[in-house]
Amino acid sequence: MKQTILFVLVILMGLACQKDDGNDPENPYQFVRPSHFPEPTYTFENNPVTENGFKLGKKIFNDPILSIDNSIACSSCHVKSVAFADPQHRLSLGVFERVGIRNAPGIANMAFMKEFLWDGGGIHLDFVPPNAIENPVEMNETLAHVVQKLNAHSEYPDLFQEVFGPIDSINAPLMLYALSQYMNLLVSANSAYDQFYLGKGSLTANQQKGMKLFEEKCASCHSGVLFTNQDYRNNGLDTVFMDEGRARITEWDGDLGKFKVPSLRNVAITAPYMHDGRFNTLEEVLDHYAQGVIMSPTLASELQQNNKLGIDLTTDEQQLIIEFLQTLTDWEFISNPIF
Amino acid sequence: MKNISLLAILFSLFLVASCTDKSVDPVDEPGPVGLEFDNVAIINDIVRQLNLKTIGDTEYDLMNGMDQQFNVTLLRYYISHIVLEGPNGEYFEDEVSVSATDSKGYYLIDESDATSQAVELENVPAGRYNKLSFTVGVDEDGVLEGAAGGALDPANKMFWNWNSGYIGVKFEGQSDVSIGGASGETVMTDNPKGMVYHIGGWKDIDGTPFVYNNRRLTLNFDTEAIVNSSEAPEVHLYFDVLKMFKGVNTIDFTGNNNVHKPSDGKAAAENLDAAFIYDHIHQ
Repeated sequence: MKQTILFVLVILMGLACQKDDGNDPENPYQFVRPSHFPEPTYTFENNPVTENGFKLGKKIFNDPILSIDNSIACSSCHVKSVAFADPQHRLSLGVFERVGIRNAPGIANMAFMKEFLWDGGGIHLDFVPPNAIENPVEMNETLAHVVQKLNAHSEYPDLFQEVFGPIDSINAPLMLYALSQYMNLLVSANSAYDQFYLGKGSLTANQQKGMKLFEEKCASCHSGVLFTNQDYRNNGLDTVFMDEGRARITEWDGDLGKFKVPSLRNVAITAPYMHDGRFNTLEEVLDHYAQGVIMSPTLASELQQNNKLGIDLTTDEQQLIIEFLQTLTDWEFISNPIF
Repeated sequence: MKNISLLAILFSLFLVASCTDKSVDPVDEPGPVGLEFDNVAIINDIVRQLNLKTIGDTEYDLMNGMDQQFNVTLLRYYISHIVLEGPNGEYFEDEVSVSATDSKGYYLIDESDATSQAVELENVPAGRYNKLSFTVGVDEDGVLEGAAGGALDPANKMFWNWNSGYIGVKFEGQSDVSIGGASGETVMTDNPKGMVYHIGGWKDIDGTPFVYNNRRLTLNFDTEAIVNSSEAPEVHLYFDVLKMFKGVNTIDFTGNNNVHKPSDGKAAAENLDAAFIYDHIHQ
């Protein structure tokens, strides 16, 4: 009963403070659903965002204490200035220069996602960081040892008490709660596109032409205000799948080579592209869809319409779509001083 | 006048309340029930206690259904959603809830930790019980709430990070016929005799290819556990590790010895139904 009341209160508070851009100037540490965004998926009733919880999560996110040799932090591969993507490496690098199998995706609007990671193996935001912490080619640590290091630290025990106290000691779930509080507040909803969408700003004629083309040719997968249908697709990159993708999780051959359709918010600044970072520019990406799509049994039906592979796009149309995609860059998001 | 009648009502309510308090007999009050999970190997009807071997120990004291020798270096499993039922409608459902510091109703039974093998149920309504049901593994209500503490703490090494969900049963050991190459907590990749069975898979969704490996089991007692505030019955259960590898499916240790995903663990999961056995009740 108490939980229900709390839940209703949280929702009411959310409604009361609803702002277009996901920011409440009165309290920037409160999670606010932008008015044009869907309902969040995160279990806020268990773990609401607080100022101190967010700050603790941010500290952990930027602390290499999470890796086995204290060399790598979350922020090593999720860089704020490029919407928390990895601009440096095609395949992200872990401890001891170990090469990962995929390109670290950007972190924005996590509170609205149903599943996480390129193959959707993460079912809840709390469970995403352990994937990097315990992966031998990423941080190569164990949660148990990270918790031990945090408890022995000069600052963390007091900080956790302030946020979650009184507690006996720091445990893994509380650490993951703090990280989720940080990531949940990373809402990107104030790009030029959003201003236009909400009737507060304008787009150039070319950007609007690009938007129309995008809606016709791309939005069946990159749909809605999150610019993803949150489903999995094989977008015609390969015929032999070194990385099984979604099939690794479903254990079904019909999902071979499928990956999560990424959100395109901030896409102009989150190169390289694709699950393995094989394309460096948006021009290469659009060119792939126009003339690089390869046939395979699991190829997306959207990419084989009318007995033709790929998407029918002239070079000019590709350029217009890129001009539109650039309107999805949220400068306020990447320069927000509290992030 | 109003005040007087109000007083009268309050007074009579007080009387009624005090009467009911006095009329309660200890035999009508709820009491505890203990469940003891005893991990064993039953060979020719003789129950042998499990003897955990240290890493690399090549002394094999057990045999599977194909006469392949093996030993056990680690055994851990989750029990959840416990229900007790009786012949006269008695019903007790163990509360299940999770938070960052605790997970009620989820029990991690670990062969290396004797205290973990005794599950204490509190406040079971008075009555007679002759039936026990539980789930081996952790279903979606334990996963979708996010990170949880206690038994479900993801630091307990019973969680798959790459494919969010709990390993329901974790078995590790060695066999002299193993092809090696397996990796786990107690088995390193270079162990030529290692074998690892991490059985998980909780997505139970019609029309999808996901393999669901949690098992809902019901055990009937040959007698009744009498429950009230002055009794403390202990239900003694066996988990026969040998039955994990023989039964509806015969597991061959010369192959599939490195089980880390739901489909690979399906055969052993289906054997679990017969591996949990009711033995007796200490009243």
